[in-house]
Amino acid sequence: MKQTIIEFKNVVKEYHIGAGKMKAVDNISFAIDQGEFVVILGPSGAGKSTVLNLLGGMDFATGGEIIVNGKNIVGLMDDALTEYRAENIGFVFQFYNLIPTLTAVENIAVTRNIVRNPMEPKEVLASVGLSGHENKFPTQLSGGEQQRVSIARAIAKNPTMLLCDEPTGALDSETGIVILTLLQKMSRQNGKTIIIVTHNSALAEAADKVIRIKNGKIRETIINENPKKISEVNW
Amino acid sequence: MLFRKMLRDMSRHKTQFLSIFIMAFLAVYIYSGVGGEWLGLRKSADNYYDKTNLADVFLYGSGFSEEDSEAVRNTDHVTAVERRLEIDASAKLDGTPNITLFFVEKNEISSLYLVEGKNFDLNDTEGIWIDKRFADARELSVGGTMEAVYNGFTIEKEIRGLIYSGEYVFDSGGSEMTPDFYTHGYAVLSYKAFPSYDLPVYNTLLVTADESDITRLEESIDHALSGGYSVFLTQENHASVNTFNSEILQHKMMGDIFPVVFFLIALLTMLTTMTRIVTNQRTQIGTLKALGFKKGKIMRHYISYGFWLSLAGALLGIITGPLTLPHLFYPSMSSFYTLPEWTPAFDISFILAAAILAATCTFVTYLACRKLLRDMPAITLRPKAPKVTTHSALEKTRLWSRFGFNTQWNFRDARRNKIRSIMAIIGVFGCTALLVCAFGMNDTMGDLKEWQYNILYQFESKLSIEDTADAEQINKLTDELNGELLMEGAVEIKGSGEKKTGTLTVSDNVTLIKFTDDNRNFIELPEDGVMLTSKMAEILDVSLGDEIRWHIYGNEEWVSTTITAINRDPTSQGITLTKNYLEELGFDFTPTSILTSEMASGKYDGVTSILSISEIVTGWDDFTEAMMLMVYILIAAATILSVVVLYNLGLLSFTEMEREMATLKVMGLKSGKLRSLLLTQNIWFSIIGFVLGIPAGIWLVDIICSSSGESYDFPIKLHLLNLLMSFCITFGLSVFVNLLFSRKIKRLNMVEALKDAE
Repeated sequence: MKQTIIEFKNVVKEYHIGAGKMKAVDNISFAIDQGEFVVILGPSGAGKSTVLNLLGGMDFATGGEIIVNGKNIVGLMDDALTEYRAENIGFVFQFYNLIPTLTAVENIAVTRNIVRNPMEPKEVLASVGLSGHENKFPTQLSGGEQQRVSIARAIAKNPTMLLCDEPTGALDSETGIVILTLLQKMSRQNGKTIIIVTHNSALAEAADKVIRIKNGKIRETIINENPKKISEVNW
Repeated sequence: MLFRKMLRDMSRHKTQFLSIFIMAFLAVYIYSGVGGEWLGLRKSADNYYDKTNLADVFLYGSGFSEEDSEAVRNTDHVTAVERRLEIDASAKLDGTPNITLFFVEKNEISSLYLVEGKNFDLNDTEGIWIDKRFADARELSVGGTMEAVYNGFTIEKEIRGLIYSGEYVFDSGGSEMTPDFYTHGYAVLSYKAFPSYDLPVYNTLLVTADESDITRLEESIDHALSGGYSVFLTQENHASVNTFNSEILQHKMMGDIFPVVFFLIALLTMLTTMTRIVTNQRTQIGTLKALGFKKGKIMRHYISYGFWLSLAGALLGIITGPLTLPHLFYPSMSSFYTLPEWTPAFDISFILAAAILAATCTFVTYLACRKLLRDMPAITLRPKAPKVTTHSALEKTRLWSRFGFNTQWNFRDARRNKIRSIMAIIGVFGCTALLVCAFGMNDTMGDLKEWQYNILYQFESKLSIEDTADAEQINKLTDELNGELLMEGAVEIKGSGEKKTGTLTVSDNVTLIKFTDDNRNFIELPEDGVMLTSKMAEILDVSLGDEIRWHIYGNEEWVSTTITAINRDPTSQGITLTKNYLEELGFDFTPTSILTSEMASGKYDGVTSILSISEIVTGWDDFTEAMMLMVYILIAAATILSVVVLYNLGLLSFTEMEREMATLKVMGLKSGKLRSLLLTQNIWFSIIGFVLGIPAGIWLVDIICSSSGESYDFPIKLHLLNLLMSFCITFGLSVFVNLLFSRKIKRLNMVEALKDAE
């Protein structure tokens, strides 16, 4: 039996729009196990990114409980959330968000300022296949390479989970496959919990667990007994 | 519609645009305000000199005849000559104040300026026209009588009018700095009112000329009179004209230099802000282009941002400057200077300065927009390719890897945003320079005051002796007050060529006035020879042991003496010698004042006025009031400058780095670390700007001080404590501005900041 590390219990997120309210996340509950490769699917505006932001401690929930490693993060204040992010979350963004003034290896070395024992930047960079690109600036790298640096930066902290918001959204499909393969490998070989938010339903075939969201509610949760390899997926 | 877009953009970026506006305003405000002030003085004075036909040359001698006058009149380039008798009398009033009487021949040159009463009349033998400021201080009015005594004669005349004189714009009334209108004044009478059956013996020749080559003029006049005069004084060297000119020059200097700093800041703010706005509106520009807007129209739209703002700031400055600033200075100045009118002037150069400012701001805006607008719409519609970062030389050294992330990040960021960095440095530099200048002026003036009135002057009271006082009276006074006798006057000194006017001080074993050398060590007055002040020695190009020739004003006999000592004096330049040596040279010792360490008050026979040291110091403070006012304005301007620049800069870097900040925050970097990241750059720039600003500030002090006139000679001082104070103010402001941003970091909305790459 796998260990449950993430649990959403009746989570609500309301936005105030003028005088009215809008529920971006409406009473959502789900659980994710250690080492799972999870895909959250849904059309744009469905609330999937909000779920990711709530889990990542980037936004405050209006109601419910989000339990990570046995601890409820709903209600934590800014500094406590920052600490939570530092220890547990590795983010991979759609637009990479590398620091343009730092080289590839320096972007990863930033983690030294955040956690006590990060992984060795050069080694992590090698693990995403970018040996020899250490001293290049983001602008000297291709989009796919930048995203790989971004992934390396996320795992260098050795976080509980990687949260990826449309990680291939800005890439061509071939490069996207390379990135997704890398992410799946992280999960399979290193036992990392990886959660990917996307609107590309093709990815569902490769996930351990698929959570479909629409209008702020969960439509269905599917568990794949035999997830495909990324390379086998029919795009 | 585009105009509305501009207004909305401005309100969205109000801090930047407000600061451009403020800087443009301040630059023009100070330039035209101080400009209106000094130019107003210049014009008022010139107008006044013109109206009263102030003499171009004053010749003093023991007596000028009709023939002398005619001879000078016939000299080339001399346009008019008039004779005048000038005598120092004392008025029969409380404390027997000194009154200088002028018996005039025609009242055509250096004529009196009537303020109140009847016009001057040469045939009026019973009338006197007196100095209005003296009259005010003594509550004398037209129709009253005035009695004056000199050489045993008593003159009693009716006051016909109250007047000003172009020769008395500044009237120190002797050796003291401050004019005291209660203790001295002047009056004008017709030569026919002279109390003798003979005509007066004229001791002054007033000359007007159309020759600007003074040396040549002096040569030909000297020839015409065959040397029969003692002093040839040009209008420029006349004490009143000279002092007032120096004051004006000093104000001009400040008004010219300081606006430059604000001007530069306005430009840099404009450049950075517009570059940012245009970059942010890249896709908007692309859309406008795609919609079919002509390039020129879009260009004009963006350029108009810079144009309207700088124009509005400049216009406000040009209107309010001359209306407000001069009136801040004039009241304190009018207690020293007497002018018939105090009117701020307006000059075409103010408009020109405002126009240049607006034009340059507009041009800078053009530079900021040009590149983007050249591109095709298809390119402009795409997001901008990020700026390429390159490795600098420093990064190739081994040292680089030792730097922490903070240092590396900030170093690269500064390199990448050069204009922003330069702007920060110039802002802090300007702030520091202004502060150091302000504190430097303050300390220099304070040091000068301490030196003159605490170290050199050791007396408690100084009593001016009446011209008519006899030896018995003086002896009685010295006994009574335990006093020491001093003779002060003026001399003309000739060194290796040039002739200069200086002060004469003769000491009868005076111990209550000290002398110091360059290093401010006390030195003794030598028994033989003369002691020359170091600045005078420099001007005359002579040194210790050299011979100088000099003569006392009013006496045509030149003597030659050896310089046996050189002293440094902050406020007056000339020679000092002992009573014995003066008498050895064949001159009479006629004491002009008594110094005492006692607090003298009340009435003494034979004394015209009593000045206590605290009154003298108060006079000095009043004299420097205008200067100090300037200092306070500088400090205020420096504060505004640095807050505006640093806030702007903080805002600029914050918005530019918002995405990076958000990324770092999402990764788990604590707010405190983010704050220190921002603070580091701020501190670097503050330090660089501060270090560069110190010499600039001292240079400013030097410029201002060196324009204070030939009789001053003082070193620049800046106390360490005040340097520290400038440092604290600069850094305090820097940290304060940073604190404003830490609140923003705390509230940074990560979700929003990272939403899209636009």
